[in-house]
Amino acid sequence: MTTSDVSTESPLGFLTVVEDRKHGLFGGYLVLNRAGRPLEFHCTAPVRANRAQEILYGPTLRPYLYGEQIGRTLLEQGKHGTGMVLTDCEPMLSVGEFITSPVILVGEGGGGVSPSRNNPSKKTWRVDPAQGTEPKLHFFEVAGQRLALRRNENAQQRDAVAQSLEALATSLDLSEPFERIRAAIDEARRGGQ
Amino acid sequence: MAQGFCNAGDAGTFQWTASPPPSTYQQGIGFDVRPHVTGWNRALQREMLVRVSTTDLESARPRAVRIPMETPRVPVRSFFFSGDHGADRFLAATQPDSPAGRTPPQKSGLSTPIAGKTRIHPPKDVIKLEDRLQYLLQPSLETILSERSLEFPFVPFPYQMEGIAFLYAREAAVLADEMGLGKTMQAITAIRLLLRCGEIRSVLLVCPKPLVSNWQQEFAQWAPEIPVAIVEGDHQRRRWQWNLADVPVKIANYELILRDRELFEGTDLSGTDQLKFDLAVLDEAQRIKNRHSTTSQIARAISRRRNWALTGTPVENCAEDLVGIFEFLVPGHLSSEMKPSKMGRCASDYIIRRTKDKVLTEMPPKMFRDAAIDLLPEQRETYRLAEDDGVLRLSEMGDGATIQHVFELVLRLKQICNFDPATGTSAKLERLEADLEEVAASGRKALVFSQWVGTLRRLSKRLSRFGTLEYHGKIPPKRRNNIIEEFRNAPDKHVLLISYGAGGVGLNLQFCEYVFLFDRWWNPAIEDQAVNRAHRIGAAGPVTVTRFLVSDTIEERIHLVLEEKRELFETILSGTDRPQTKMGLTQKEIFGLFDLQSPSGPIHYAA
Repeated sequence: MTTSDVSTESPLGFLTVVEDRKHGLFGGYLVLNRAGRPLEFHCTAPVRANRAQEILYGPTLRPYLYGEQIGRTLLEQGKHGTGMVLTDCEPMLSVGEFITSPVILVGEGGGGVSPSRNNPSKKTWRVDPAQGTEPKLHFFEVAGQRLALRRNENAQQRDAVAQSLEALATSLDLSEPFERIRAAIDEARRGGQ
Repeated sequence: MAQGFCNAGDAGTFQWTASPPPSTYQQGIGFDVRPHVTGWNRALQREMLVRVSTTDLESARPRAVRIPMETPRVPVRSFFFSGDHGADRFLAATQPDSPAGRTPPQKSGLSTPIAGKTRIHPPKDVIKLEDRLQYLLQPSLETILSERSLEFPFVPFPYQMEGIAFLYAREAAVLADEMGLGKTMQAITAIRLLLRCGEIRSVLLVCPKPLVSNWQQEFAQWAPEIPVAIVEGDHQRRRWQWNLADVPVKIANYELILRDRELFEGTDLSGTDQLKFDLAVLDEAQRIKNRHSTTSQIARAISRRRNWALTGTPVENCAEDLVGIFEFLVPGHLSSEMKPSKMGRCASDYIIRRTKDKVLTEMPPKMFRDAAIDLLPEQRETYRLAEDDGVLRLSEMGDGATIQHVFELVLRLKQICNFDPATGTSAKLERLEADLEEVAASGRKALVFSQWVGTLRRLSKRLSRFGTLEYHGKIPPKRRNNIIEEFRNAPDKHVLLISYGAGGVGLNLQFCEYVFLFDRWWNPAIEDQAVNRAHRIGAAGPVTVTRFLVSDTIEERIHLVLEEKRELFETILSGTDRPQTKMGLTQKEIFGLFDLQSPSGPIHYAA
């Protein structure tokens, strides 16, 4: 389980979700040391919301599936304490409710964009975020890489995160480990079944 | 209801006016009413009967549907890794007091950061998921190189990074890039990385003798901190060199490992332990294509954990060549009985091959022109007599004619195509002189290849005005590097006369823009190697390759055979299901060059 040690030495957790139309959502959690070497990797079986969940959770479904069902489960498996958790999926930010470490969005969070926004063929969609479902984000840049924290993280926390990532982000593309996770999930799906 | 009417006003508006009240009149009317006696009167006098009915307004409890919303447990698979993927144990072992250890590269003007994200993919023979993930979850090759401060004199091409990642991950691999794409650099960098990661500690590199110094130079350029020893000298000296524990890379030539075979086979009478290596690399690995050869047997006897083969021509003549190389890499993985397409599929995960046209799209083009030449009259007469005489003699020998007899005739006819032995005239030379006039006049340089030293020497005399230099088996190895340097630097030296045997591999002559194949080798792969001395990375401009082909002679017939071999090569290395072409020259085909009937029994290899 993660701790809130945002030091420049502690490992980093990378959390993402791969969407598969046929099977559902596969979650992956990679813990790297500061040299970028893998320490542990966890991946979930596919998760798919049933019809009742789709109706009853409504716009909160994705944060629920990403953050509570997948993210929380994966983080509970972690053996190394991580200074922070990075994700490239915006709905995954809701996992912050279950851990003390800051959860940072890398890039624009495209992995978590809701299908309605992604699907121009759909005739109607909400133009306003559902009340309270999408976290308000505070964007900032570290070594040219765009990051975001939820606004409810305090300013001190943000500064600590930025400082911790400053040295790392100059040599490491923070979005790159997510590619590794996706490759590993793909391998696990093909080879591990 | 109020009644009234409305009418339009002056301004088009409507006004409401009430009507006067109506007039009324009264009129009395009297009727005599007598009730008619019916049963109804009595009925009206009876008391009413009231009946009460009760309706229960309380409804039943509705039935509810319960949908459980608890969070189900999501199954998770977990994998744990050490995170210590190779500390720099090698450097720790070689510094600072190791006599052979060199200073690791310092940050210098030569250092060039490498961009890119080259992934290290697991080989197919890594089965366990955890092991496969170990590869996939590593950072990119560029990150690993950067992490270890591995610097390079030049930025490697992306395909070279792919090649390094390919070798790095494999215990058995064939790097079969087309000549000139930098196999040496890729192998050295992969070796360097494995040494720096502590995954290997001892490397044996075996190459043809003329290339030993080239490898040494390349190591100095691409891995300056890695101590390298050239094994050479007398028996005593070699034994000492073999056992240098603090020199991780040892370079030896093929002939030398034959001489020291007892050290590899563990049969040394002096009681010296069998030599063991973590990695054995064979350069120009086609040298072991014949698995029954002594070289192949000794290569297979080398005790090693990993083995790589470097060759631009894994299939020189027939599919059996590849089987021979794989007997060293992964014994039993390929068999001679496999169809080329199946063999290609089985070998595919072990072989990486790129061609210049695919990866160096910005490299200057290589243009071929086949110069069809007619023999001079006296040459034609000599040729006709020799062929008629040779064929007659072969016919008279009947079943006693062997493949050797046919080859002798072929070689004799090819030599006549070069020069008329009686008069010294040469149609090819006349054409070559004309072409070289232009080359020299434009200040450019040309390579002229022949399979015979005699031909090269004749050419040297006749072409001396162009500034010729010779590079062949009769030139002592110690002089060869100087000749190359002179050719490179002297502005008045325009022509290097070079034999396929001595100059076909390992030379970097990319400053030449013209290549002439004065006569043709039996094997298209050898010709490609020769051409790629000039057409390789760093080539300044387009390379023009002129292939001399004398019409209506044995050369034309051999040309057809070469084209068939090229097709075979493509079939195996592309792994496609093209129709299978002939597997080398059969005895029938060789005899067929002269329209002769073949004695029974196939000959599998032509060259």
